[in-house]
Amino acid sequence: MLGNKTGGAGLVVLASTVLIAGCDGWMGETSGEVDITAMNADELAEYLVLETDSYRFEQEAQEGGSARERMKQDGIQAACSLEGDPDADTAGEVIAMARESYEEPPGGPRLGNWRRGAELARSGYGYRIGHRNDDHGSREPGGNCYACHQMDPAEELYGTLGPSLAGYGATRGNDSSVVNYVHQVVSNPHQYFPCTKMPRFGHNNFLTEEQIAHIMAYLLDPESPVNQ
Amino acid sequence: MFKKALLALPVAMAVGAAAQAGEWQDPNDVLQQFLQENPDSAYLHQSEMNIMMMPDNPALWLVDEGEELFYAKRGPNNVSLEGCDFGKGPGELDGAYVELPRYFEDTGKVMDFEMRLVHCMKELQGFTSDDAAVGQRHGNGSDIMKLTTFIAHQSSGMAWNPPLDHPQEQAMRDAGEKLFYRRGGAMDFNCASCHGDVGKQIRASVLPHVGTGPEWSKAVSWPAHRAGHDNVRSQNHRIRGCVWQMRHAGIKADTPVNTALISYWNDQARGEPAILPDLKR
Repeated sequence: MLGNKTGGAGLVVLASTVLIAGCDGWMGETSGEVDITAMNADELAEYLVLETDSYRFEQEAQEGGSARERMKQDGIQAACSLEGDPDADTAGEVIAMARESYEEPPGGPRLGNWRRGAELARSGYGYRIGHRNDDHGSREPGGNCYACHQMDPAEELYGTLGPSLAGYGATRGNDSSVVNYVHQVVSNPHQYFPCTKMPRFGHNNFLTEEQIAHIMAYLLDPESPVNQ
Repeated sequence: MFKKALLALPVAMAVGAAAQAGEWQDPNDVLQQFLQENPDSAYLHQSEMNIMMMPDNPALWLVDEGEELFYAKRGPNNVSLEGCDFGKGPGELDGAYVELPRYFEDTGKVMDFEMRLVHCMKELQGFTSDDAAVGQRHGNGSDIMKLTTFIAHQSSGMAWNPPLDHPQEQAMRDAGEKLFYRRGGAMDFNCASCHGDVGKQIRASVLPHVGTGPEWSKAVSWPAHRAGHDNVRSQNHRIRGCVWQMRHAGIKADTPVNTALISYWNDQARGEPAILPDLKR
């Protein structure tokens, strides 16, 4: 995991029994030093990700830490590695983890500048590594909201992985309860939607609190094109 | 009764095998069949332009170039790739591509197509990783993509049928399924974030669904000319692009995470004819 605000290291699920070190050329052509059929599928998947030199783990991640940290799972990622929706118990555990790890911004959630939010909602730049690594020094990362959501009804290119947010503020207003709720959803959405596809933009330090405030303004400001 | 059952068994097996393996078909014929049989698939029908271009798929140029490379005596050992066993015997290419990944006795592990091709170019022809012949993995100009396109084309229209008889094959396929659903990285994504539902879009692009056979067969039908890249791309290149967009860690070539994922991919397309080479957006 990346620079999680609350860590959650105690929740990391690893198949530690199979993570034996010293795998040069993983069951390579000279000798079968690891019997992959002795592991169950979960153990083998963890082994393949973390112990077979399949990734450029030495690279730096833009959020801090190494690429390896990105591929270690925290509690919510592990619990939500599911086909389909979580069962009731899992959903309850995920909601509890999300509530526990949610952080309000200093001074409480607020609305920023919707024009800046519009730019951030359209930008898919940032955090890509492996090859052609994104350079945050030359260009600010964005939230890429339009990849999954409709927002401004006049914008034709939008994804459908998430629900339409067109007119979101127009129907809900923007009193403090709405502002607080929207911040919780953008920052750590599993509090309300356990195992949602949506990234934890705040918790994962993917967006700054200032950027989240701008995107919230784009959603909730009565002047924003989203609400026209 | 017992005797009758014994006699019937080989017949049933032969019929089953024939129906599953299928005959070679032109890639455009396979695509047209998918389009006709799945009129409601937004993924399959999303690009009229690409459907129109399919008979003149630029990837077909690489087939001829790859054929020349395959039979040419090359490398420090000055031998052709006719001695390379992709699972059906040395030099036997018909249907080989759709029956990968598989376990190979000579290496003692499950290998995906590209891993096997590179293995042969090194072991038989004597190339090393420093040689462009195996070092350059991407782009129309690379030997790897020319060879990949030629060899894959010999399986066009045949049904995906990666073997699961060896315990390692089953283990890699099952681990690949876990990897498909394993969430991680800076955006908490897994492969199913984009490929778990039917007809969803990222921006304007309609995504293939892992549980819908014809969509998934087309989705994993690489090599394909990728119109947006103006280059022929491989399954491995698709994986690399997906993990890059998912904000996972960068993935390396010839590694078992690739093999496991492709084992699951191709198993999910099992029974559906492959489009080789395909043309994608």
